Amino acid sequence: MATNIIPAAPIPLSADEARVLSQSHIKKHQVAIVLLHWFNAIVWLVELSTGSALIVAPDYRFMPLWYVRMMDDLAGGHANLLRVHIAVGVLWTIVFLVYAVFGWRHYLHMEVLKNEVGIDQDDVRWLRIRLLRLLNRSGEDLPQQGAYNAGQKLYALMVYAMIPIIMITGWVMAFHLTGTALIQWAMLLHFVAAGMVVSGLLVHIYMGAVFPEERPAFYSMITGTVDELYAYKHHFKWWKEVKEEQLEWQARMASKPDAAEDSPKSEAKTGFDDGD
Amino acid sequence: MPRYAMVIDKERCVGCQSCTVACKSEWDVPDGSARTRVRSAGVKGTYPNFVSTFYVSQCNHCERPTCIPACPSGATYQDAHGIVRVNKDVCIGCGSCVAACPYAARYIDSDKGVVDKCDFCAARLEQGLQPACVVTCPANAKTFGDLEDASGKVFSMVYREGAHRMDSAEVSIGPNVYYLGKPEHIALAAATFPVGRPYTVAAGRVWSAVAKKVVYLAFGATFLGQAVAFFHQLATGEKQYDE
Repeated sequence: MATNIIPAAPIPLSADEARVLSQSHIKKHQVAIVLLHWFNAIVWLVELSTGSALIVAPDYRFMPLWYVRMMDDLAGGHANLLRVHIAVGVLWTIVFLVYAVFGWRHYLHMEVLKNEVGIDQDDVRWLRIRLLRLLNRSGEDLPQQGAYNAGQKLYALMVYAMIPIIMITGWVMAFHLTGTALIQWAMLLHFVAAGMVVSGLLVHIYMGAVFPEERPAFYSMITGTVDELYAYKHHFKWWKEVKEEQLEWQARMASKPDAAEDSPKSEAKTGFDDGD
Repeated sequence: MPRYAMVIDKERCVGCQSCTVACKSEWDVPDGSARTRVRSAGVKGTYPNFVSTFYVSQCNHCERPTCIPACPSGATYQDAHGIVRVNKDVCIGCGSCVAACPYAARYIDSDKGVVDKCDFCAARLEQGLQPACVVTCPANAKTFGDLEDASGKVFSMVYREGAHRMDSAEVSIGPNVYYLGKPEHIALAAATFPVGRPYTVAAGRVWSAVAKKVVYLAFGATFLGQAVAFFHQLATGEKQYDE
């Protein structure tokens, strides 16, 4: 196999090598996911700004009263504010359900989830060293990471757990399902689950929009691609996988350069996988 | 601006439930629930000194209502006339207010899934009508009007005849439904149908005691972390990832 030309661990790059890598791009996100991400971002913006103004009673309220009044006025009354919150929330659930039903193989399959949120030994070490480095207590190099680093995985796990809670409790409250006691607890769960997501959202937005080293990750949510240098430096394990795949494919292409012309029988087969 | 109140004359009430029926049909109150009802205290005492009375109960439109701070969504409010009302478009049907009312005046409307109670027939008042129970009562036991109108009947019954508020030693929140009657009748009603204790539901207590703090802490910790990271970024300058 040609894969032996790929280093097992990141090696220092010359300026030229780095430039070459930075000019080539590899695909990170599917278009469907890029769209869902920005839909989700808008939904969270609307739901957080309206939802935080829906809690009025002093013992429950966590936003200042002027904010509640301002949102009421913007929406044209408290009832309209609630209507907006419910309408957007219902739309959000439906869109996620459509993705789950039609795209579970791509987004919710066990293999995919293991890749995206599965915590392995390297992740545990990564978390430990990252934390120590933040506190200036370690100079160790960070272990190689897959397409997502351990911090991203932990946040994704939390979000995956919280989103169904937010959706179910939202429907329970919006449509007065179950009984009073369950609606009371649904309200509490809705608030806590959203609060947990928001706490992590601060890091998510900082890393995406402010932190300079992760700038390519931000653009990848628009273009769907990252440059190879970024992948090499931040997600080496993933970069290696992509390169191996690429080389394998190239090798296969090279081994039968004009197979289609030689054997008319295989004309119908157009996939890259036939042959071996 | 009028401040509405109601006076119920116990010596006139015969327990016929006309008010209950009028109210139910006026507001489509579902079976098993009532905005107003008449209950008998039974016959108490020994021969020949029997005491008996009817207790007409409904929302008291309290001056310091315990249901309003209990309502998380802000659906329950007090209007300019002192009427405690429910905005059903905002109510989520959690029932926190039901537990908070010491007079058991609220119920969950089983058809709509939201809370409902007496609102002094606010929609009728807007049309210049009296509440349905008041006009229906064949014994004229219910009197409704403005407590600030010194020439009015309600004013006179409350301030001159000394109509009674159904308070208890623990709960005194300014109910605006008053009762006229012999002291022993009022005492019997108070003893048979005692004022409850406003109750905060468990989820509400957890909300203010635990949940709020947990969320503030999580939010505060990550915010602080990000602030430190950003100031670090400000102080050291920004590096390109490929440098």
